[in-house]
Amino acid sequence: MSPPSGSSDADAPPSDDALLVLFANGDELAARELTTRLGPRTFSVALRVLGDRAEAEDVAQDAMMRLWKMAPDWQPGQAKVSTWLYRVTLNLCLDLKRRKRGGSVGIDDVPEPADPAKSAPDQLQDAARSDALQDALMQLPDRQRQAVVLRHIEELSNPEIAGIMEIGVEAVESLTARGKRALAAALAGRREELGYHDG
Amino acid sequence: MADNDNMDDLDIFFAAARRETDTLSADLTDRILRDALQVQSAPVEATPARGTVPGLWQQLLATLGGWPAMGGLAAACAAGIWIGVAPPNFVPDPLALVSGTQSDLNLIDSYDMSALMAEDQ
Repeated sequence: MSPPSGSSDADAPPSDDALLVLFANGDELAARELTTRLGPRTFSVALRVLGDRAEAEDVAQDAMMRLWKMAPDWQPGQAKVSTWLYRVTLNLCLDLKRRKRGGSVGIDDVPEPADPAKSAPDQLQDAARSDALQDALMQLPDRQRQAVVLRHIEELSNPEIAGIMEIGVEAVESLTARGKRALAAALAGRREELGYHDG
Repeated sequence: MADNDNMDDLDIFFAAARRETDTLSADLTDRILRDALQVQSAPVEATPARGTVPGLWQQLLATLGGWPAMGGLAAACAAGIWIGVAPPNFVPDPLALVSGTQSDLNLIDSYDMSALMAEDQ
């Protein structure tokens, strides 16, 4: 979520930390930039973990609201804003699932195709694969699903995931390994249907 | 071997999911920004909401140490009143002490005292 660090370019975009401080000081543009930068990932994680678009939107809004309220107390440099936000989002997802435990999860609520550069058949195939993955993800236990989403869709490092989930790196590795095995088994029967080997 | 193939195939699914996750609906963007502006325009909270401040009785109770301390205090008061009303034999009568009535207790017999004084002379 943060821009690459170490750039010597004076025009480099401000860090999440700096934007949050600007927001706390009343800068409206900082609010827009943080929303653009952090909102999609927050929503994406919530959607993958919950499997329901409406619920994911509510969780993303709630998580961002907590970010806004926390801004005046934020200590720049002590932690990554994105790590804090991922943790809040996952906790909100868990809270929501606890509240509605016993209810069904709509697997039809999957992300919409969004890449205009891809052809229509490619987009359809992406959507089909994404649907199938979401279907399989929803069969995993909560913690496995969270670890797999953070590692393989958000592409975070294991230490960062460990910080977000407040567990050890070994536990993250174990969760993702078990999660991937379960996903592979769940998707094995759909190889031909989803065109695994077409590149 | 088949397991490895299946695990490798997962990357195709993850890649498809990653391509689809970078969009935020206009409605959700508006909701998030509205919240942000509302928080920015809200006055800083200076005092806790009414009802969270404990009352006088609660503060007194907390100062004394809560209900266990209040129980001990009540027991001590009851014992004090009982001792005042019906004192044991070995305790001087508090009513007599208050009213100034002379005690009958003689530590040294008066005859022996006069004899001792006579010997000194």
